[in-house]
Amino acid sequence: MKHINHVRITLYFSLLFFVAVAAFATSAYAADKENCLMCHKYRFLGRIDEHGKKRNYNVDENIFNNTVHRNVPCRDCHTQIANLPHDPITEEVNCGNECHIKPPFSTENFSHKKIIQIYNKSVHGIKADDPEDLKAAKPYCKYCHLNPIFTKVEEERVASSTLRRCLNCHEEKGVSQAYKHITHRLRHKTSRSRQEIVKLCSYNCHENTALMARFNVSQESLESVETYKRSIHGKAVALGSEETADCVSCHATSSIHDVYKKDEMMSTVNERNLKRTCEQCHRDVSDEFIKIDVHSGITHDEKPFLHFLEVMLGFVLYGTIFSLLGLAVLETIGRKKDGIKWQIREGTTWRGISKRGF
Amino acid sequence: MSGRPKRLNHPKSVYVVGLVFKIITLTVIIAVLYHLTLSHHGPNLLTPLKTKIEEKQKSEIMEEVQHLEELEVHRHFHNIAPFPEMPENLRPVCFICHSDYPHSKSKKVRAMLNMHTQFFTCEACHLEEDPGLKVVFNWYNPQDENPKGPFFGTDYDSETGNLITVTDKLSKISVFYKKGDKLESTIQMQDAPIAIDYMKIRDKLTPDQRDNVKKKFHVRIKPKGHECKKCHDRNSILDFRKLSFSDNRRVDLEQLNITGMITKYEMFYLPNLFQGE
Ligand code: HEC
Ligand code: HEC
Ligand code: HEC
Repeated sequence: MKHINHVRITLYFSLLFFVAVAAFATSAYAADKENCLMCHKYRFLGRIDEHGKKRNYNVDENIFNNTVHRNVPCRDCHTQIANLPHDPITEEVNCGNECHIKPPFSTENFSHKKIIQIYNKSVHGIKADDPEDLKAAKPYCKYCHLNPIFTKVEEERVASSTLRRCLNCHEEKGVSQAYKHITHRLRHKTSRSRQEIVKLCSYNCHENTALMARFNVSQESLESVETYKRSIHGKAVALGSEETADCVSCHATSSIHDVYKKDEMMSTVNERNLKRTCEQCHRDVSDEFIKIDVHSGITHDEKPFLHFLEVMLGFVLYGTIFSLLGLAVLETIGRKKDGIKWQIREGTTWRGISKRGF
Repeated sequence: MSGRPKRLNHPKSVYVVGLVFKIITLTVIIAVLYHLTLSHHGPNLLTPLKTKIEEKQKSEIMEEVQHLEELEVHRHFHNIAPFPEMPENLRPVCFICHSDYPHSKSKKVRAMLNMHTQFFTCEACHLEEDPGLKVVFNWYNPQDENPKGPFFGTDYDSETGNLITVTDKLSKISVFYKKGDKLESTIQMQDAPIAIDYMKIRDKLTPDQRDNVKKKFHVRIKPKGHECKKCHDRNSILDFRKLSFSDNRRVDLEQLNITGMITKYEMFYLPNLFQGE
């Protein structure tokens, strides 16, 4: 009896689902023609799972309609779902799926495969011989990319004269979008701000030294966030600079995902490539210039002279402040002893005549 | 004495300048002290003490929960929108023990039922009705005795086809007893004597005792709430119009109309959904 019920439920819903799909195959609602949002638009669609984890399945319809994926049908990514209400989904979405969308000037369906290949080779990609906890700790696509939301970019490079020439042959809506899509990417390596990049790389990951230490990273790498923040780059970014180097500026090319360990030839911070990397921002980069330590820790063993200077500067700072404070305190005690009172009146802070007679 | 010239008072501006200098001095002193004691750029004189205090207050469970919540944001991918929450103390007693996601048993409907807790109080589905009294559904908001709406989900935005965006996101549909002209709430609030009493002693109860107390909160509560068809039907127990749902919305909810093409609600009605599992 139990069993039959479920078969029936599933049958009903499957039927309904596919009738719905068929009926709406030509619908104007671009992505959600199967009306998945009927349920998923609700904030509390979710549950506490068997391990006590809160799982929320809400997809905010107003936000989704403004994301870059708004034209992708839900099941292009969520391929496991075949009936309604669907069973719990056990497999993650594969970001390398092909979706049923052809980009302009392309004969192939769109997919993220290429960038995933680059990523998989990088230091962050999961390798077959990684231990389990390292696999778990490596960032996956979704860790860094929440469904990107379209932001309106004021794009000066969109020269209206150039765009007008495109319009001689192309339709306005499509071509201005494509034009902006390209020029937008001519500015920075990423559309995130420097501050966001630094936070993304450090918070939860590279800053978490206990976690990083588990994976036998070098001492230099372990301290990288700390030393970056002390460096001129780190300080400028912390103060809001949009020009100074963040993590990605130096550690990846324009493919952004090709981060490698320093001693690998592919790495942008490998000795052989350093010059080119610095030249992205600095002019006249010499062999001496690239020797400057960007992630500089100032310890006694590593840099005795700088360390000495730092300690001396500390003495000067504390020395000045505390000497001045000390003098003021001593003066106050002395005057009180002499029986002179404090006041803020008649052009003086001290009133009365000293016991010593002056 | 007589030979001394009399000192005059300073003009007011001097005090202002003095104040500015004092503020600067104080700031420098505070900065220096911070640098010496806690800043990670300085010698960290007091950091060991701070970590010791933090260690004492640290709760591993709390940390894990927060960490999981944060990872959930990354796992979720579809940007979770901020949503206002009812202050803890204004929630009904059920929230002392249950969360916004109370349903977990039956796979097919648990997430769907939890979804309904956004706009229903628990009693709306779970009330063991007093057969002698007439029940009425109405919008309810503990912060506002007479909520006016527009309420969540009652209409579509004509431009986008999405649900209208509303400012009142906290009102829920609740169930009341009609007594003459008055509506009497069926909800037990956290300031009910039994709830206050429970909060006082809950840490001292043995598991058995706790189970016993649990029953006290469930006296008028049915273990299973209303079935789908009670509401999603032409003869719905809800008067959608009175609850200020638009006609479009009412029709869609009565028929649970997946695409607007299928009007046979019977297909959706699953008489045996709640058996089994
Ligand atoms: C003192 C804590 C407490 C409070 C307050 C409380 N519950 Fe429960 N409730 C429980 C526990 C514990 C269970 C058992 C959970 C289980 O079996 O999974 C439970 C089970 C239930 C069940 C399932 C019935 C069953 O017998 O399995 C329902 C329905 C329910 N609660 C509704 C409510 C509602 C509605 C309220 C508010 C009026 C409420 N509860 C308040 C602790 C509480
Ligand atoms: C839309 C109607 C509805 C609302 C609102 C609702 N419930 Fe339920 N609840 C149900 C139904 C139906 C069942 C039976 C589900 C089943 O058979 O698995 C149920 C079962 C339960 C159960 C036990 C089964 C389980 O899945 O764990 C608990 C506990 C419970 N409800 C608590 C609550 C609490 C607490 C609230 C308020 C926050 C609430 N419910 C609001 C309809 C509702
Ligand atoms: C107590 C009445 C009630 C019960 C019982 C109930 N619902 Fe609902 N349901 C509603 C209301 C009211 C809404 C719309 C709320 C809003 O958007 O403000 C709704 C919304 C929905 C929606 C979204 C429809 C849409 O177009 O937005 C779905 C799907 C749904 N319910 C399914 C179910 C299922 C499945 C069950 C049984 C497990 C169920 N409901 C039980 C009252 C109920």
